Amino acid sequence: MIRDQILAVSGQLNPTMYGKSVKPPQPPGLWEMVSMDAPFTYVADTDDNIYRRSFYTYWRRGMPPPQMTILNAPSREFCVTRRERTNTPLQALLLMNEAEYFNAAKETAKNVLAQSDSVREGLGRVYELVTSHVPEADRLALMVEALEGFKEYYGEETSLAESMTPELKDAPLEKRVDLAAWTMVTHGLLNLELTKVRR
Amino acid sequence: MEPFQSFCDTLNRRQFIKKASMGLGAAALSGLINNSLSGAGAVPNGLHFTPKAKRVIFLFMAGGPSQLDLFDYKPNLEKLHGIELPPEITQGQRVTAMTKGKKKDICASIFKFAPHGESGLMMSELLPHLSKHADDLCLIKSTHTEAINHDPAKTFFCTGSEMPGRASMGSWLSYGLGTLNRDLPDFVVLSSAFWSGKVNVQALYSRLWGSGFLPGKHQGIAFQSVGDPVLFLSNPKGVDRTARRKMLDFVAKINSEQEIQTGDPEIKTSIAQQEMAFRMQMSVPELTDLSQESQSTLDLYGPEVTESGSFARNCLLARRMAERDVRFVQLFHRGWDHHRELPTHIRGQARDVDQPISGLLTDLKQRGLLDDTLVVFAGEFGRTTFAQNLTPGDRTDYGRDHHPRCFTTWMAGGGIKGGISYGETDEFCYNVTKDPVHVRDLHATMLYQLGIDHNRLIFPFQGLDHKLTGVEKAHVVKDILA
Repeated sequence: MIRDQILAVSGQLNPTMYGKSVKPPQPPGLWEMVSMDAPFTYVADTDDNIYRRSFYTYWRRGMPPPQMTILNAPSREFCVTRRERTNTPLQALLLMNEAEYFNAAKETAKNVLAQSDSVREGLGRVYELVTSHVPEADRLALMVEALEGFKEYYGEETSLAESMTPELKDAPLEKRVDLAAWTMVTHGLLNLELTKVRR
Repeated sequence: MEPFQSFCDTLNRRQFIKKASMGLGAAALSGLINNSLSGAGAVPNGLHFTPKAKRVIFLFMAGGPSQLDLFDYKPNLEKLHGIELPPEITQGQRVTAMTKGKKKDICASIFKFAPHGESGLMMSELLPHLSKHADDLCLIKSTHTEAINHDPAKTFFCTGSEMPGRASMGSWLSYGLGTLNRDLPDFVVLSSAFWSGKVNVQALYSRLWGSGFLPGKHQGIAFQSVGDPVLFLSNPKGVDRTARRKMLDFVAKINSEQEIQTGDPEIKTSIAQQEMAFRMQMSVPELTDLSQESQSTLDLYGPEVTESGSFARNCLLARRMAERDVRFVQLFHRGWDHHRELPTHIRGQARDVDQPISGLLTDLKQRGLLDDTLVVFAGEFGRTTFAQNLTPGDRTDYGRDHHPRCFTTWMAGGGIKGGISYGETDEFCYNVTKDPVHVRDLHATMLYQLGIDHNRLIFPFQGLDHKLTGVEKAHVVKDILA
């Protein structure tokens, strides 16, 4: 659900239905760790199949996709009526660092930047997009402050902004710093309790 | 609800969560203890018994090493070599499909045994380094189990049940004992990326270190030998530690506001877990960085210690984790399933593990860690006394089939008597004749050394109070306790 939501928010979700399982990217070496002596290697799909709903993700019994098991996907070895509710540092790491999740933050930021005329409008838009709430004034102020902070930081550490935005290598540095800062704010919003847990 | 009462409930819940973050099981245990041991005193931390060990390093030899060639010395077999195993010994017991209907000719080991240490424990020439630790080892020659095939036998050893999906040993300990190091996981799995015995290698399953019905946070964390040791540990490109800090501060501000609005203490847990993730980004690389280890320490573990994913390196990592109070470290070394060409393959496998394990024991000892670290060595079952796939006339070419009715495991450190051999098998090494130790007895003994009564560490699930030792009676092997 979290993954599908993030894909939907970032506009990347591929809504195609039916057909065989797909293989989104996984960290290297997982299948080799449990395989027999002729190692089975996970070969990720490269087309936009990787953005299909998680429902279509290939499931290997001996090593299910960690993006799912870390979030307590049932092992399918017995029947469960309700998914375990836990709160672990590995879940935090997953949502912070998994490449697909981080990329979704960047894609969302790109879309919002392209659609917005002002900083406040953009921040309001991304907040609503991610959390389904309209931000109150002080929340918006907090986001403005965070965005300024990131702009300042990436303005100083330009090499970081460059390594985050290789696709903008022909664009002016200012644009790259801007995207990096917006990505980090969006990335923050995607890691909120408000986003992860429905109360 | 009455407002004051609801405020009190929130407080209590918060305290509960606080306790839970130190291990829900710690809360569970202390609850149990309060009911059953009031006034007994002297037992620390809400445990059932005074613990002898604080942590476990479990060396799992996947495939089923041959006890006949490694530990269980049977000099008489030399005379019986080539004779068919008498039916009164086998009693028509179940064998694998590989052996069914075939002749069962006794096959003596070609490896020499000699007494070692002051205890004079008989050790195979396959383990020259480990033999130097004879006085630290407690060989349990009467270990037995039911399963005769790899997967159910491994699943039983690791989770106490042949049925997949139960909680694993390490997750029980994480649940029952809670965390000693807030910056690292309680239960870490290290699997060798390569091994010498290149025959019949079985797949592993992540359920062997799964948490089953226990909360997911107790599951084993399998460290990777390539890339990040813990999945998703490294920041994405363009995010450094400062940027990560800024992002987390931003997130925590909004989360805290929401916590005040909703009063849900789970949000506090989320903030704490994000902070722990941030600390792990430092503590895990520090843990796996071996550059500060002295050459003499590295030498203890043998030449392969420098190779990523080697058993030797994993042994060194296990010591570093023991130092940092990781509760349960489980190493998996595959390649012990020697149905054919056993002498060749077992030589390689023994070489893989002999010096590293010896180095681990030495290293733990010299740091004073062996006293409260229980080291366990086991495969999922043993191997048959009769041969399989032998070349007639060639004594050096034989294989052995799976044998669950007796096999040798050993323990060291953690309050276990050293230099002893426990339990006996018959002269054929087929049945246990004295002091049988079922795998569940081994589990009970492990828990006992950690201060836990296996009958009282329970988790209700699907109408049954689940235990690691299951519903059959298990006993603590008191005779091997120091």
